[in-house]
Amino acid sequence: MPDLSVEQFQRLSQQIYQRLGLHFDDKKLYFLKTRVARRMAALGLEDPKDYVFLVSCADPEGVEMQALANLITTNETYMFREYEQLQAFANHCLPEVLSAKQARGEKKLRIWSAGCSSGEEPYTLAMILQEVFPQAQMWDCQIVATDIDEGMLRRVVAARYGCRSVGDVPSEYREKYLIDDGEGYVVRRRTAALVQALHLNLHDRMAMRAMRGFDFIFCRNVLIYFDDLSRKAVVDHFYNALNPGGYVFLGHSESVGRVTTAFKLKRFDTHLVYVKE
Amino acid sequence: MSSFTECIARLEGADETERTYAAEDLGYLNVPEGIPALLERLAVEPSLAVRDAIFQALIRSDGDAPIEGCVGLLASDDPQIRNQAVDVLRRRGAPSIPFLHTAMRGGDKDIRKLVLDVLSGIQAGDTAALYAAALSDKDPNVVITAVENLGRIRAVQFRSRIEDLLQAGTHPMLMAACVEALVGIGQEASLAAIRRCFPDLATLPDFFLVSCLKAIAAFGTAGDFAEVAGLLPVRGPHLRPAILGALLAIHPRCLSTDAVTGLLPALQATVEDGDPPLCRYQATRVLGLCAAHDDVHAFLVSCLSSAERLVRLGAAESLRASGRPELEPLLAARALEESDEEVLQALGC
Repeated sequence: MPDLSVEQFQRLSQQIYQRLGLHFDDKKLYFLKTRVARRMAALGLEDPKDYVFLVSCADPEGVEMQALANLITTNETYMFREYEQLQAFANHCLPEVLSAKQARGEKKLRIWSAGCSSGEEPYTLAMILQEVFPQAQMWDCQIVATDIDEGMLRRVVAARYGCRSVGDVPSEYREKYLIDDGEGYVVRRRTAALVQALHLNLHDRMAMRAMRGFDFIFCRNVLIYFDDLSRKAVVDHFYNALNPGGYVFLGHSESVGRVTTAFKLKRFDTHLVYVKE
Repeated sequence: MSSFTECIARLEGADETERTYAAEDLGYLNVPEGIPALLERLAVEPSLAVRDAIFQALIRSDGDAPIEGCVGLLASDDPQIRNQAVDVLRRRGAPSIPFLHTAMRGGDKDIRKLVLDVLSGIQAGDTAALYAAALSDKDPNVVITAVENLGRIRAVQFRSRIEDLLQAGTHPMLMAACVEALVGIGQEASLAAIRRCFPDLATLPDFFLVSCLKAIAAFGTAGDFAEVAGLLPVRGPHLRPAILGALLAIHPRCLSTDAVTGLLPALQATVEDGDPPLCRYQATRVLGLCAAHDDVHAFLVSCLSSAERLVRLGAAESLRASGRPELEPLLAARALEESDEEVLQALGC
């Protein structure tokens, strides 16, 4: 395996952060080293220095960065993925938004799971919502789950998942919100009813403009596959789709601040979140 | 899709979202008449979201007008506008270059520096004349930025000019930038020019030593290996990452471990209490260069039980690289107690 030096690792991590918004800290040294080795083998490069140069200075269209992105990101999705971020949502952001709404006499909450894939994320949010806010049933609560792939949306509607998808669901949640039917897990009807599947291409700006009035937007590990310009356009649409005081969540290692200056960064304990003021 | 006139009216509206959409639509309409309206709105627009949308529209619009407009914005008092203008010009790429020449000739030092910031993001077109002008600029920040860019793009044709700037030694920051640029350009012969400036590593100020070590890491040979190894016990702990990095980089070119054996206590101490943890990883990798020695081998084996995962990772990689035949059962046994996925991979299990 080509020996990526610590300095080269740091330069490459900086490039990955600037171009993809993904943060790779020292803990990911070996991980990145093995992925770079694969890319170098595919390109016939022997010196990591040449690979770092290629990515930093000789990749104007971002082709190599995209190839690397495909290796350092995962398409895998499962319930309660990136738990810490969900904690920030459940413990801080959601209560804050709910109390502001209660103070205004509003009883409507809208959450958008953008690029929801097979639906693990929207159902996770539905479970959290019911857990944190049992009155959800008496409110007009809606979790809009959108994806470009209609096959994925059919899986959202089916609301049936295998062991791998539910492996990280806390046991008390699993008992309350899922039914084990022997062949898999089905989301209970009351929870599933909170989620509405909708076909949407995030690149379709006219369709995106129709998405308005959300209190939370989750779009985790989706935008890393977009080029800079498209990513920015999508995040700008998220800004417009949010109500004032609404929050946007990208993947835990993706930075909103890198894409746009429109959102305000807010800290809850150790969590950093982005809010529309 | 809104008509041009509607877009212009909405761009002046009270609603932030409508103004954002109007700017976006003007970008997609891509008509030259839209550019002055977008630039005028930018001058008074309070919303960052709308400003973002205006800049995105300028990126999408064809022709020279958005480029000229953004070159003008480099003189803005607002740093956000300046940065966004730099971004637009970078994205427009080579067509921006003729306009940057004008800005380089007529602009003040801040604008000349911003022109170079734009150039750092343009990977096409003929920029040599702009860089040649920047290297002769009277403002050191402009020269430093040019040197940094040239190193990043491996501009071999500027190597001797940068070596001359290094020898002239007019400004410490410029000298350090020259060394780093020469490393980036990657010509072995530059090491001689660098060492003429900095002959004695042991007494070299920290600021220069880090850059020098990068040059030695890139081009150094056996003699340099011993000299760099000698720095480990005598220079401050904050320099260890640079020293260890240089040793690891030179080693494949000289394959000598003599200088390392004298350093074992210092390396072992670094593994045990080095900061940051990456430095501890580097120390285990340097120790791996002489893993054939039984005491080093034993120490590396003990590192597999370290609480610091980067030490375990470095030890696993070093032991694997040593290729000692008795290792397999030992690494397999260790793997049973290891929970970190990446260390497990390095153990080869």
